[in-house]
This record gives sequence, structure tokens and C-alpha cells, in this order.
Amino acid sequence: MVNVFAVPVFFIVFRESLETAIIAAILLSFLKKTFDTPDSDRAAYVRLRRHVWLGLIAGFILVLAIGGGMIGAFYRLGVDAWAKSESLWEGIFCLIASIIITIMGAAILRVSKLQSKWQKKITRALQASNKDTTFGEKLEKYALFILPFITILREGLEAVIFVGGVGLSFPASAFPIPVITGILAGLLIGFIMYKGGNMFHLQIFLIISTCFLYLVAAGLFSRGVWTLEMYEYGKLVGGDVAETGAGPGSYDIRKSVWHVNCCSPQFNGGGGWGIFNALFGWQNSATYGSVISYNVYWIAVIAYFLFMYFREQKEFNGSARSDSDLEADNGKGVVGDKTGVAVDEKST
Amino acid sequence: MKSFVAASLLSLIPSVLSKTVTYDFNVTYTTANPDGQFERRVIGINGQWPIPTIDIEKGDRLIVNLVNGLDVDTSLHWHGLFQNGTNAMDGPGKVTQCSLGPGQKMTYNFTINQPGTYWYHSHIKGQYPDGIRGPLIVRDPKGPYADKYDEEVVISLSDWYHDENPPLLAKFLSVGNPTGAEPVPNSALMNETQGMPFHVRPGRTYMVRLVNMAAFAAQYFWIEGHTMRIIEVDGEYTEEAEAEMIYLTAAQRLSFLLTTRNETTQNFAIVGSMDQDLFDQIPDGLNPNVTGHLIYSAARPLPEPAFVDAFEPFDDFTLVPYDNEELWGEPTYSFALEVMMDNLGDGANYAFFNGITYVAPKVPTLYTALNAGNLSLTPEIYGRDTNPTVFKHHDVVELIINNNDPGKHPFHMHGHTFQLAYRSDVDAGIFNTSDDSIEFAKMPMRRDTILVNPGGNVVLRFRADNPGVWLFHCHIEWHIESGLIATFIEAPDVLQKTQTIPEDHLAICRQRNDPVVGNAAANAEDYLDLTGQNLSPAPLPAGFTARGIVALVFSVIAAFIGLAVIALYGSQEFKHKAA
Repeated sequence: MVNVFAVPVFFIVFRESLETAIIAAILLSFLKKTFDTPDSDRAAYVRLRRHVWLGLIAGFILVLAIGGGMIGAFYRLGVDAWAKSESLWEGIFCLIASIIITIMGAAILRVSKLQSKWQKKITRALQASNKDTTFGEKLEKYALFILPFITILREGLEAVIFVGGVGLSFPASAFPIPVITGILAGLLIGFIMYKGGNMFHLQIFLIISTCFLYLVAAGLFSRGVWTLEMYEYGKLVGGDVAETGAGPGSYDIRKSVWHVNCCSPQFNGGGGWGIFNALFGWQNSATYGSVISYNVYWIAVIAYFLFMYFREQKEFNGSARSDSDLEADNGKGVVGDKTGVAVDEKST
Repeated sequence: MKSFVAASLLSLIPSVLSKTVTYDFNVTYTTANPDGQFERRVIGINGQWPIPTIDIEKGDRLIVNLVNGLDVDTSLHWHGLFQNGTNAMDGPGKVTQCSLGPGQKMTYNFTINQPGTYWYHSHIKGQYPDGIRGPLIVRDPKGPYADKYDEEVVISLSDWYHDENPPLLAKFLSVGNPTGAEPVPNSALMNETQGMPFHVRPGRTYMVRLVNMAAFAAQYFWIEGHTMRIIEVDGEYTEEAEAEMIYLTAAQRLSFLLTTRNETTQNFAIVGSMDQDLFDQIPDGLNPNVTGHLIYSAARPLPEPAFVDAFEPFDDFTLVPYDNEELWGEPTYSFALEVMMDNLGDGANYAFFNGITYVAPKVPTLYTALNAGNLSLTPEIYGRDTNPTVFKHHDVVELIINNNDPGKHPFHMHGHTFQLAYRSDVDAGIFNTSDDSIEFAKMPMRRDTILVNPGGNVVLRFRADNPGVWLFHCHIEWHIESGLIATFIEAPDVLQKTQTIPEDHLAICRQRNDPVVGNAAANAEDYLDLTGQNLSPAPLPAGFTARGIVALVFSVIAAFIGLAVIALYGSQEFKHKAA
């Protein structure tokens, strides 16, 4: 199963699709509200709506083309350059993937923030294009094409880079299904939001999926450390450790916290234990490094979310009184403020 | 061993004629470069390497005054000699003597009534591959084949490492080698060199005594253009048997008659080829072969050996003992040794007989046997990890070896030759005692070192007619290190009445402050109390120990708290909406 479904890939694609879908939804509802009224220009509405869709489709096709090429190049490079110290790279990429997921995961939780952030930005962008007198005509004419085009391109390429980074630890066959299902899931939620579906249920769904996302990230973090330890052990043993199966000799006894001679997520493709590993970071041979890193990861996540929770609690109370614009800006703040990475740069 | 008893009685008569041969051996380091690839430190004798071949006649008394000029322990074992009545001279450290420490001296002194091809080597952990190994030939001018050959020649086969044994051993028996992959030799040697010349005259018959003194590698051996007629294995004469190719494991010996051609127009390659099946990984550039030459004419070129398509060596199971001794009757003691490899708690890979990996006792086992009184028949006093088995005098012992390991093992027994009643093919599994279709050899070949096939089994029989403490072990030196040794204590009650320890042997122990009385734990008060005995490392922890459970529980709790906090944070959305 791990060979056909890379869980982190699914979440990355899902998250980026969701963001794109939100933007598309906002644009479309904006058009609907502005132009689809009895006294407006019906033809202009249809034209502009076509622009949005064209932008999305063109951007999507371009992403597929560029992304496919990038992933292909990544893989070829990876196979050549990294095959020799595979476990070293696998460990590093697991850690990178874990950090990426951790940073962008929180944003999914705050989908309404994401929504309001983009609402503001799009409004501002459209207004700005109106103000521009020299360039105005053109931009106004094509803004509704360019905006979704750029958005999907940026989100898509971001997804490609993340997926590429995360995915080197997976076989190529593990990509198609999570990519497709991730896109579908993102679109579905975008559609529900557009249709103004039950946001309560949606939020429940998002909380659950975020929980899974962090379980995966914790597992990846632990597995990254574990794999790096195995890399060290492999150097000591001077051979392919996996060759020895799941029994004695397949692990470094000096670092072992527990070891059962079964249930290996690596050996023979891992089977059900491979899924268990992908979702929860299961190891049949836990090391001090893997256990401690797993717990440290959770402690860090707990501390961070508690901090955010209390800060936003305060801000929310403050904004209720002062009627400030805090909420909209929080879209970036969800994770960006603290870490300075990820979602942050989009809002500027 | 009727024949042997008879032989030793006979030997009393000409003993007036027999002589005493004395060697003064100072074991020292020297340097050598036998394969022309690498000069290294080796262990020699009296500053020489290769060490001398001991060459004596049946009935002679051999006296070796040994001085240890090394900075580590040593000892000498006379491989294949029965030491009947002189168990203390057998040589393995911590078994029949204390190890000879640096600067110490001792004397080995015994009479040899067995003709044949033997060898001698250090029996301290892993030492003989560093060079202290040499042939020991007991000539037999009145032997059954004495008039069939014109000349005797010794050819030793061996393997050679460029690294000294102690660092190799440290690496082999460590957490970094969990599969127990044995260090692979760098070269094969013939008479401890390469390109060995064997000058022959035409139309003569030579008795060639072949000794494999390797640490590890068995060798295929053949002489191009010539047939070998086997007449002896491990000191036991056999009926003549023709062979084109011989397979000799580490520690095995074999003599054959070689009749030379009548013309001198051509020289022939003598080839030894290490059995690479033994090696886990074959290093790049390893030359498994060693070539010598049968030289009829020095003026003629020395040919390169021709390629062989397949190794098809002679099967020693088919040999028939010269005395036509039949399979010894119904065993009075029968037992099995299960061979397997596994990792212990220190992560290293050990070898086991019946789940026990050998660890030397505090008191040499022979000394325990001699001092334990009636308790000497109780195996426990010899220590759990010496893997002791006690036989009564004149037991007919049947020993089944089940090799559960996918490697070939040459098993050697001290103090005896045994009959090879049965040997299975590769991967035959455990010997099935109730399988009537298995037929034992009627007149089984006898030797002291036997190859057991990977995943196969053998059935051996011997007579407990040699009171003493005898090791039974794999003669791959690496497996000695990893514990593939059992201790056989044979008729210790008789031993107590007939044998004593020479004073100079006891002096070694006293100088080293090693105990000489007591059980394996050096407890002389209560032989049944083995508190403090030397034991192997603990087994690997099984699955989830307390540590593992705590770790898992904590991880699960951490994850659940984490999920709760995420849910808490996510639920803010509801509040915000509401506002």
C-alpha cells in the first residue's frame, strides 16, 4: 500500500489544491455577486467567468508540464546521485517533509482565515487594477485570467517542489493516486465552500484531517531520525542492513528501545505495517533516537499550538472590542509569524 | 579403538629402539611476506618463519621445551595426537593447561605411537593464523605402504591474512558484524609460500602428505596430469583410493601416493584453490588459487594451471579403513549437537552447540576433573558455558551433528578419531533417527576432522577409551572465537587414578595467579556452587521489555495530547464564526 499511496504527498497536494480551490471559489463568487445581477452586463459576466476558468486550466496544464519535468529530473538525479547513500537521503527528506507538513498544516485548520485573507487580497488586486490608468484597460480585461493563472501556477509549483522533496523516499508508483485524490479532495472542499455548504461539518473534517496530517508528520520526523541512525549503523556494518531481514543484526542493539522480529515496515514492502508506519510512524525496532524524536516532536507541536491558541484567544477578544483588521491578517500569522516560512510570503 | 590399543602394546616392544627427539622452541615475532604482496609481523619460532616441521618416527618420545617470547599468551596443540595417558600435553589453554604467559616456560613431553600426518599449532584464541602452525609428521617405516613409495614429501596448504588476528577478531566479534561474516583471507599458500617447486624424478612413487593448516579456507587440490592414490586420512591408513581432486578442510590431512611419469618433457601445475563458498563476500582482486609445480625438468617452462569447469572432489566418506574395522556396535551413549549462529545482547554474532556458546572456565577443565573427586562425573561442575558432556569409560558414543547453519563446518575432536557412520547431503535438515532408509557405512572411514554440509548432518561414533578432557570444535578459527566448542570429559574417574599434572604446568598457573583447583568458577569448597563462573553475554532482549513499553506508552500519550491540542486550536474557528 505504501508503494502506491504516499500519505505525505496526498496531504501536500490536498492542501495546495484546497488553497487554489478557495481562490477560484472566491473569484467566482465575486463575479457572481458583481456581474450576475439583473442590471449588469450578462455577456461581460460570462466572458470574465471564462477568463477565470481559462486561467485555472491554463495554469494547471502548465503546472503539470513543468511539475512533471521537475519530478522526472528529480528522480533521475535522485537515482543516480543518492542511490548509494539512500538511507542518508531518505532520513534527510523525511525530516524535511516533516517540517514542511508541520509548517503548512496549521493553515488548513484555519480555512476561514485563508478565505478572508484571499477575499481581501483579491478585492485589493481588482481595485488596484482599476486605479491603474496606463495599464488599466489591459489588466482589467485580463486580471481575472491572470490571477487564477498565477495562483494555480504558484500553488502548483509549490506542491511539486514539496512533493519532490518529500517524495524521494517513496517509489515513483506511490505518487499518482495520492496526487489525484489530493486534488479531488481539495476541489471538493473548495466546491462545498463555494456552495456555502455546512461549514461546521467542514471544520470537523478539517480538524480530523489535520490530526492525521500531524500524526504523519510526527511519524516522518521519527522515521527521519531512525533512518539516519540506520545509515550510521549501515556504515558500521558495511553492508545492506535490510538484507538481514527483521531479526538479529537488522538493528543496532546499543540503541534499541524495543525490537520485535516481525512487523517490520521495511521488510518485503512492509504490508500493513508499512501503512502503520506511514500513518503513525510505527517501527518494529525502535531506537532511543526514534522514540525521543517522536516525543520531542509532539511536545514542540503541543507547545506551539497552545501558544497560538492563547495568543489568538487574546487577539480575538481584542478585535471584538477594537474592530480591528486582525483576523484577516492572521491568515499569514497562523504559522508565518513565528516561523517566518511557508504561507507567509504569499500574503506580501 | 582396538587397533590403537594393539598398536600401543606392540610399540612397547621396540621402545628400546625408539629415540627421544627434543626441540627448544622460543615463540617470537618475526616478519614475513609469503604471498609477495605485503610484509607483516608473524609469529615464528626461534626467529624463523615458517616454523619447523616436526619430523619423528612412530614410537619416539617428543620433548618440546617451549618459551613464550611474545607479549601475549600462547600454547601448543598437537593436532590429531591422542595423548592417551598424557592429557595434560594436549595444549588448549584453559582446558588441559593454563595459557603460557609472556616470558613463561613449559615442557611438552609425550610418546607418539600413531603414525601419520599431523600438525601442531597454538591453541590460544585466534593465534595460529598469525603463523604459529606447522606440520608434524610421524613416519612409519614398518607401515603397510612403506614399501610402496620411494620418498616422502610434505605439502601444507594454508590461507593468509595481511592483518594480524587480534584486530580482525575484534572486528569479527563485534556489533559491527551482526551477520558474523568471517574475515576473508588475502591469499592461499602452499608450504607457506606461492610458486612452490616440487622437483621429481621420473618413474618414482612419492608419498605426499597434505596438511591444511588454514584458519578458515578449505582447499580443492589437484595435480595436473596425475592421479593421486589416497592411503591415509588424519593418521588413519585407508585402502588405496584413486582421486583426481581432493577437498581438504582446515585442519584435515591426507596422504596419497603419486607415481611420476616416465618422461621428463613437461612440468605440471599443482593447484590449491580456496573454497569460496565459505566466504560471505569475495573481495575484489582476491586470487583464491595457489599454484606450485611438479618439476620434471628445470629447463622446461612452468605451465599456468588450466581452468576447471567444476570442482568435483573425492568424497572421503567412501574411503575404507585399512584395518577394515567395522562400525562400532550399538552406542551406549548417544547425543546430538545442534549447530546454529545467533546474536547475543552485545550485538555480536556467536556460534552455538545446543544453544550454548563456549566460554572458557576459570580453572582448566582437566584440573577440575582431577580434583573434583566423585563429582567429576557431574557435568555441571565444569561450567554451563564450557558445554560439558561426560562419558563413562568404554562408552560407545554416537554423536549426531545437525548443522542448522548455511555454512560448511569442519568439526574436529581432540584425543580421538571417530567413525563417520553417515553424512547427509546439503540441506537435509536434522538427522532423523527413526528413518530406516538411512544406512550407516559398514566399514566407516575414520578421521579426526570432518566436513559437515550446510544445513546437513553427520553421525559419528567413537569409543571412550581415552580418559581425559577433549575439546570438540569447529576448526574454522573464527568459529572457535565465536564459541563453536563443546567439552567432552571422558572417564574422569579413571583419569584421576592414572594421570597427574606435571609440576611445571602447575607452576605456570601459580606464576599467573590462575587457580588450579575448584570447579569452573574456581570454587574448591563446593564444586556444585558455580556462582561467579564465566558466562557468555546475555541473550538479546526479547521484544518489548519494560523500557520498550514505557517508551511506547509515552509516545502514544504524547500523540494523543498533541491531537487534543490541535483539535482545541481548530475549534476556535467555531467561536470566530459565532462572533
